[in-house]
Amino acid sequence: MKSKDKKIAVLMILPAIIMLILFFAYPLIKLLYDSFFSIDLFDPLSGSFVGLENYLSLIQSERFLNVILNTFKFVFIAVGLEFILGFIMALLFNRKFKTHQFWRTLLLSPLMLAPVVSSLIWKFMLSNDFGLINWVFYSLGLIQNPNSIAWLSNPRLALLSCAIAEIWLSTPFMALMLLAGLQGIPKSLYESAKVDGANSLKRFVFITLPVIKPVAVTAILIKTIDVARSFDIIWNLTQGGPHFSSEVLSTYVYKMLMRYGDIGNSSAISVIFTILLFLISSIFIFKIWNRNEN
Amino acid sequence: MFRIKNKDLFIDNIIAVITIIITLLFLAPYLYLFFSSIKPPQSVFSSPPSFFPNEFSLMNYINAIGTDSIVKFFTNSIIIAVLSTMISVLIGALAAYSISRFKLKILNIFLVCALITRMIPLTSIAVPIYRIVSNLGMRDSRLALGAVYISINLPLIIWMMVSFFESIPRELDEAALIDGCNRLEAFFKIILPLTLPGLATTSIFSFMLSWNDFLFALLLTSNNAKTVPVALSDFLSVYNLQLGTMAAVAILFSLPVMIFTFLVQKHIVAGLTLGSVKG
Repeated sequence: MKSKDKKIAVLMILPAIIMLILFFAYPLIKLLYDSFFSIDLFDPLSGSFVGLENYLSLIQSERFLNVILNTFKFVFIAVGLEFILGFIMALLFNRKFKTHQFWRTLLLSPLMLAPVVSSLIWKFMLSNDFGLINWVFYSLGLIQNPNSIAWLSNPRLALLSCAIAEIWLSTPFMALMLLAGLQGIPKSLYESAKVDGANSLKRFVFITLPVIKPVAVTAILIKTIDVARSFDIIWNLTQGGPHFSSEVLSTYVYKMLMRYGDIGNSSAISVIFTILLFLISSIFIFKIWNRNEN
Repeated sequence: MFRIKNKDLFIDNIIAVITIIITLLFLAPYLYLFFSSIKPPQSVFSSPPSFFPNEFSLMNYINAIGTDSIVKFFTNSIIIAVLSTMISVLIGALAAYSISRFKLKILNIFLVCALITRMIPLTSIAVPIYRIVSNLGMRDSRLALGAVYISINLPLIIWMMVSFFESIPRELDEAALIDGCNRLEAFFKIILPLTLPGLATTSIFSFMLSWNDFLFALLLTSNNAKTVPVALSDFLSVYNLQLGTMAAVAILFSLPVMIFTFLVQKHIVAGLTLGSVKG
């Protein structure tokens, strides 16, 4: 490459590198650095080196382990149900009917909806004073009293309720990905299986599932990362409460910083959080890598 | 033969009906928000709740638009999202072009870094970013919030733009260079216009990230630079009786997005699957 070209190449990429160093690389290094200190947000002069103390106290803290467990629970429930619902929708929409295009577009229109709006909607749907969900359950005779399920203030239900808002928001994405996968299956595969006498269940198990597997794995990984990172929905619905019952890593980091002003601790949680997520997403990167090699 | 066809048609019809019912049920929560926003303010949320409005009223919208602070939050949202999108797409396109055309090893490393940053929990970097912005004395400024959005958007933009540039034959650049253009001219006059569909898709995604973001806006703003998502959240956390106004603000904020997604879905879907299905 000519040296003049090199100069231009560097010049063109420089703004992007500067921005990423300023708001990605530098913060990450600072995050790691701060996690070895004890710093009070509300006292700018504070800050003493404490080594691994922040980490050690976290590992011994039952609350922190519980927060990690909650994060896993939240991801498992939300992504699991998103996948099942998304798959059902994709299968339904894979069969074409007259106005099929219109309904599919309609179903996918919340694709870009803000999480804040989803939490707002579900705050009212799940309210035990005037919520629609309790009222529907009551009208169906499932519950005795329209106020009897406290979706957001019962510690045993709070995390599930947050998951509902997340599932509602993200299922269209899951359906979209899986539908794209289903439509990539050549029709001839099904036809030749039909000729060979395979019934529809067999065709589903031996053709649909194996062919859609790579797309499904990708979709699940993307959603796992997204849901593990998500903050908006839980923060707006329960703020992690009641009694930390719906506390996940992202809300806990925020609380540690803004409520308790504990920069060292919140940085240490963030570092652990980043490493955990990184391990999960490295599976994803590895997968892309493999596919590019082939 | 005829019988089988009839049976198939029957199954198709049943599936069509199920599909439509599921779609409507799925959209019902959003419709509930919409119907609530066009109820008279005092009966927005009642016990027992009613799904459809008994009485039509635009009072909630009039209240929302008549509140100065709400107008300000919308202005902030629009200015920050539009400007940060334009700047990040420009910076990202330059970087992506450089990556795709001058195959320097270091640039590939940079692309991998960009991918990795996509997977970092945003809450984590929010902690140091909060401190950096505070130390610079730039809290509650639209500039700081916009700069953060530009950086967060860059990795995805670069990731998408590289594949758009890869699809344009290199010979075009070379022809432009031979005709006496320099690199930058070739980029802006010849190559960039060809990637307009790609630019549109990336702009949509980057705009939506800024428009919908809640976390950074919550951390970095307090009043002056506050955006609509944070304002909506304020409505939720401070128990107040303006539920109708809140519903109206939520609809004003999200309905354009829904309609837009409905209208240009083909491009959005292309963008989503480009970044993910193809890997």
